[in-house]
Amino acid sequence: MAGSNEVNHNESKRVVPLNTWILISNFKLAYNLLRRPDGTFNRDLAEFLDRKVPANTIPVDGVFSFDVVDRATSLLNRIYQPAPENEAQWGMVELEKPLSTTEIVPVIIFFHGGSFTHSTANSAIYDTFCRRLVSNCKAVVVSVNYRRSPEYRFPCAYDDGWTALKWVKSRPWLQSGKDSKVYVYLAGDSSGGNIAHHVAARAAESDIEVLGNILLHPMFAGQKRTESEKRLDGKYFVTIQDRDWYWRAYLPEGADRDHPACNPFGPNGKSLKGLDFPKSLVVVAGLDLVQDWQLAYVEGLQNAGHDVKLLYLKQATIGFYFLPNNDHFYCLMEEINNFVNSNCL
Amino acid sequence: MAPPRYDSAISAASCSGSSSSSSSSCAAGKLTPPQEIDGLLADAGYKVRSSDLRQVAQRLERLETVMVNAPSEISQLATDAVHYNPSDIASWVDSLLSELSQPPLPLPSDLSDFSDLNYVDSLVGPAINPTVVNNEWTDLHAPQQQQTVPQLLTVVTAMEEDSGIRLVHMLMTCAEAVQRGDFPLAGSLIDEMQGLLTRVNTGCGIGKVAKHFIEALRRRVFTPQGLCSAAGGGAGSTNEYEFLYHHFYEACPYLKFAHFTANQAILEAFDGHDCVHVIDFNLMHGLQWPALIQALALRPGGPPLLRLTGIGPPSSDGRDSLREIGLRLNELARSVNVQFAFRGVAASRLEDVKPWMLQVSPKEAVAVNSIMQLHRLLGAPPSRNSPIEVVLAWIRSLNPKIVTVVEQEANHNQPEFLNRFTESLYYYSTMFDSLEACPLQPEKAVAEVYIQKEICNILCCEGAARLERHEPLAKWRTRLGEAGFRPLHLGSNAFKQASMLLTLFSAAGYCVEENEGCLTLGWHSRPLIAASAWEALPLPPLPDGSDPIRIINQNVL
Repeated sequence: MAGSNEVNHNESKRVVPLNTWILISNFKLAYNLLRRPDGTFNRDLAEFLDRKVPANTIPVDGVFSFDVVDRATSLLNRIYQPAPENEAQWGMVELEKPLSTTEIVPVIIFFHGGSFTHSTANSAIYDTFCRRLVSNCKAVVVSVNYRRSPEYRFPCAYDDGWTALKWVKSRPWLQSGKDSKVYVYLAGDSSGGNIAHHVAARAAESDIEVLGNILLHPMFAGQKRTESEKRLDGKYFVTIQDRDWYWRAYLPEGADRDHPACNPFGPNGKSLKGLDFPKSLVVVAGLDLVQDWQLAYVEGLQNAGHDVKLLYLKQATIGFYFLPNNDHFYCLMEEINNFVNSNCL
Repeated sequence: MAPPRYDSAISAASCSGSSSSSSSSCAAGKLTPPQEIDGLLADAGYKVRSSDLRQVAQRLERLETVMVNAPSEISQLATDAVHYNPSDIASWVDSLLSELSQPPLPLPSDLSDFSDLNYVDSLVGPAINPTVVNNEWTDLHAPQQQQTVPQLLTVVTAMEEDSGIRLVHMLMTCAEAVQRGDFPLAGSLIDEMQGLLTRVNTGCGIGKVAKHFIEALRRRVFTPQGLCSAAGGGAGSTNEYEFLYHHFYEACPYLKFAHFTANQAILEAFDGHDCVHVIDFNLMHGLQWPALIQALALRPGGPPLLRLTGIGPPSSDGRDSLREIGLRLNELARSVNVQFAFRGVAASRLEDVKPWMLQVSPKEAVAVNSIMQLHRLLGAPPSRNSPIEVVLAWIRSLNPKIVTVVEQEANHNQPEFLNRFTESLYYYSTMFDSLEACPLQPEKAVAEVYIQKEICNILCCEGAARLERHEPLAKWRTRLGEAGFRPLHLGSNAFKQASMLLTLFSAAGYCVEENEGCLTLGWHSRPLIAASAWEALPLPPLPDGSDPIRIINQNVL
């Protein structure tokens, strides 16, 4: 709790497995070192501490990956695909043929989390998560390396997401199905979820088809303090104080938390009524202090007449999906699989 | 079954039975069972023993309590403290605790605070025998899988252009034909590709890469092997090689990174020593040493007496180029008041060098510096007297304070031609891509020739003539561990300074990464060169109590 000199560890360690507790606590403490009170960020130390992994075109556990650098923007996208059945094709990156001419293969554009500031597409936790997504959904995943704050503020991350969407839509080798198009879903956790929303909104305004949004405890906020923020402050790895820091680092200087970036259905938001906004799967962790904002987001979508499914995981903390050692993880994977592979698109 | 992607996510059950790599000569009958690492944390990039989980959690709790109670010290931790090997959470947390002047030992608090949450049991490791916890991470490096995964690390940039894709496919088909011995087909593909090349921009991107690889294939198919002499070239090539090397040095940051990182580590290792001796396995123009000499000159407490022994090939034109470089370095040292002595050792091959030639004195702190030299020793089949074993043994016998090793981060030493071809295609594509950002001419063009020679050696030469036998960091870790060395971790200070070095190069794609105590430099997400530092594990005394090092130094190997 704010102001207390005693840290209350008891609650968080009762609800997550030991190795998960270690992983997320390790991040929490490292991140505490990186955020400076003056709003600057120790990027050098952050890059040193971040565990990164290379891509691997030889399939491991049925998934292979390769990186593509967009020459125009110098941004990296890491593509994950299910391994070809024919072993003779292992190691080759197929850039000429579509994914399939008969079946539909969903392409999930994934925006990693990190509160707009941390992590990359090649961070180990996200590389592993994307691989699991591919295995689970038999989808292709494109993980986007967007520019991060505080060096790059709003709207850079959204612009990069938008660029990635257009790039993905225009790759012939990501097409599938009988009508040869790219079947795109947007997904993201934390800040990545926030990015997915804003890219989808822009796509809807520009008539670019996105088939669905998957928002995994997305990062939203508002100027007022909600009940969940007050109740859960500091209890499960996250504090209001750190959330505030990250918004100050991302939003334009001088903006408050009712800026439409963090509060899309707030006083400064734009209406989504009448737009062809994709269906959404919003996953809320019951022990996440941001949940009231996430639930308000769900309500906002519903009020605008859009299709949204809420998956509320009561005993889940943030980051529950990093390690496959809990029921929430498997529940999530099943929901995502149903969401992208449903028969009625 | 797919092999693990990380060194150590290998359970005790699947170990090949031999004891772990570097407990080696000290083991003397005591067998520490390899401790099992939590597989899920390993997938997240962290190495924590399953049996240590509770202790590590307690330390994290302690660290957080300390940090909350001393918020002003946090910024000091972030800026001043040097961090090492973040994959090892336990030691990272301990180092922070000791920075905050807190004892690293866990408090005798109630371990039952952590409830036993049994989720999916099969994903949590089986119960571990409560053996003595040994904090030496080197013991954890269980023997590598014998079959190395041919990791194809790709950064695909220009490959999407249509003609580019076609060229790559043809290159692979041609390489396959070469592997099968179908030279007529290979030859006709080469002709076809050379035709395609005329319609593609060979000044950059995939066109440039293809041009070089087509050339390598052409040489392999059409030129008799005899042209690959054991010296890796013809007469008069030493000067030519030095010329190419110098331009490669200027055109891109790989060699500068190597020198810079090695020098940092050497400087730290020499701290507190008054007599120091650096042995450079490939002196070239001595480009690495002015910076070290100057850093030693500025050392608080004054510089040590510095001896430098530079190994290099004999000059082909009668000049004593080693000596000339030594004289220049001597002048520089004198100008900054560093007492300096130089010795040149001329040898065409590293395995021809004998330790007595280096005249190492037991009073000196010795640094052995190998920048892209060790891989050249891998030509012979592994045995006790293979060149690499012999050289690593005599390095050890010098009892060095530090051994700095920089190697290409690539798997170019595979016996199968096609595997070498594919790996090198991706590796050098990435390297050429990074080179494109270089604005300097003729440095850039000459650097390309330097790279071309490497490619040709990898693909056209066999046996003793093939010197470019690059192996990845994971393999070097095992090799050095088995030869009696343990890692000296490169920390966040070295990382930060390497990153600063890169800002001098305009290209934004260069990337330094930390890899379990080593640093890599790469282009975008693909590491291309890896720097590591090592120290020799102390040898056990001989049965009669005598010092084995003295004995080895006296032996003429």
